[in-house]
Amino acid sequence: MFESILVYGLVASAILLLISLGFSITFGLSGIANLSYGGIYLSAGYLTWYLINVLQFPLFAAALTSVTLMAILGALIYRILIIRVRGNIMNEVVVTFALGLATMELFRFLGFGGYGFSLPSVASGGIRILGQAIGFQRLLIIGVAILVALLLWYFTRRTKTGLALLGMAQDEYTALSLGIDSDWSATYSCAIGAAITALAAVLIFPLGVIAIDEGYKVLIRMMAVTVLGGLESTKGLVLACIILGYFQVTVSNLASPRWTEAVFLGAILFVLAFRPSGLIGQSKELEERV
Amino acid sequence: MLEIKNMLVFYENAIAVNDLSFTVNEGDIIGIFGSNGAGKTTLMNTISGITLHVKQRMQREGGQHISIYGEQIFQGEDISNKMPHYRVKKGIVLSRERHPVFRDLTVEDNLILGGFLIKDKQIIKESLALIYEIFPALTRLKKRKAGFCSGGEQEMISIGMALAANPKLLLMDEPLLGLSPTAQDQVVQALSAIQKLGLTILLTEQYARPIMPYITYGYIIENGSLIMSGTREELMQNEEVLSAYFGVNK
Repeated sequence: MFESILVYGLVASAILLLISLGFSITFGLSGIANLSYGGIYLSAGYLTWYLINVLQFPLFAAALTSVTLMAILGALIYRILIIRVRGNIMNEVVVTFALGLATMELFRFLGFGGYGFSLPSVASGGIRILGQAIGFQRLLIIGVAILVALLLWYFTRRTKTGLALLGMAQDEYTALSLGIDSDWSATYSCAIGAAITALAAVLIFPLGVIAIDEGYKVLIRMMAVTVLGGLESTKGLVLACIILGYFQVTVSNLASPRWTEAVFLGAILFVLAFRPSGLIGQSKELEERV
Repeated sequence: MLEIKNMLVFYENAIAVNDLSFTVNEGDIIGIFGSNGAGKTTLMNTISGITLHVKQRMQREGGQHISIYGEQIFQGEDISNKMPHYRVKKGIVLSRERHPVFRDLTVEDNLILGGFLIKDKQIIKESLALIYEIFPALTRLKKRKAGFCSGGEQEMISIGMALAANPKLLLMDEPLLGLSPTAQDQVVQALSAIQKLGLTILLTEQYARPIMPYITYGYIIENGSLIMSGTREELMQNEEVLSAYFGVNK
């Protein structure tokens, strides 16, 4: 029992990290709470399915195409929609949320969803860790989640483009006065966020079927993790993923898997009520007060 | 080099800059002096394009909150409707009021970001070396987060970032504001070093005395309007100017 929670909790944490990195990086770099990523996640799943099953793409090529196209879509969403309401947070949230819902419901309307839609795993089989059977796909998810997090860190701290995006997030007017364009950086961060979300879809969907509800679940999860982790800190995000991942697995082991969604919704309510700045958002709060 | 013709800036119905016209010639160091709320920062932000950015941002939200009139001509080109990054590319770079730096980045990363639009790494390296020469105090702070630096150090970073952008016209908005006398000295000394590089400088300040020896021409504005202009000597001879901006009472 204990070993099972230990191993599968880690898998659950990695899944959470992978689906929330996109949302959190977009928010961290441009301040846009892009709630259309639930729709992007689902679109990436169906697009990959279409490329593999209808156009006969090999898995890797299909995945790469999906991630690229979703990055472009993410950029277009900013350029066409968000740009018109940029600066008004409420409108940003409403616009992106509506877009995400519309996308997901469009798939339902078109008759997608249900059984028959699934993606192949990169590798079948698995190994045993602490006596627990764990599939290669799940190991891959853990590896990629860590890799993406590290790459993002490298990108934002060591490359000029990444530094410019961080700079824009930290002080918009100073960034402007040095020639960094605000719309350029927001487009960039929306594209990165959408690409990571698409990557998450390609890796996570093989664990089950591509169902419309997955889009909603992912949306709730990325919000729960980001709210708990504090909106701008990567450390907080990873911590939140680990806490919620283990909590989710423990609850589903001890009680029933039916309670999983309650964990995330409960986390959102609890954090917003008692620690609105997130787990380790305290220092930030203090800084702003001074 | 820069010609401002009849600049008018309104926030809602409040007038911030009222019919300002002036010229900056190549190699000049122009001082614009005025008290709080005289319109200095609005003027600088408008020349650097930030006011235009804010105006457009507000228009997207719905509503005309900021109005900008008049012509801004830089090296013969009308830049009135150009966005900030275009102006930086052309050589107009602003070091903002109250030295807002990128707090979570190291001093060195701040300076590197100053050279954001410069593709050639060698040029950035050279400007960084030059900046450390002008502000030796920054050399030992390279790896420190800019947010942990003192006000004077942040001012040096702010000016350094602007220099790294390789400006032709350097705008400095109240570079001495809130600094200790020692830090003020360092910034003023840097000013003469920058002057020797052959840059054209347009700066604003409330307290004119430390800056005065360096300027070639000065303007005094009040409530957004130009009330007086002249060379260093002309301004120094005016009693009102002396008492209001130099703290000298006769």
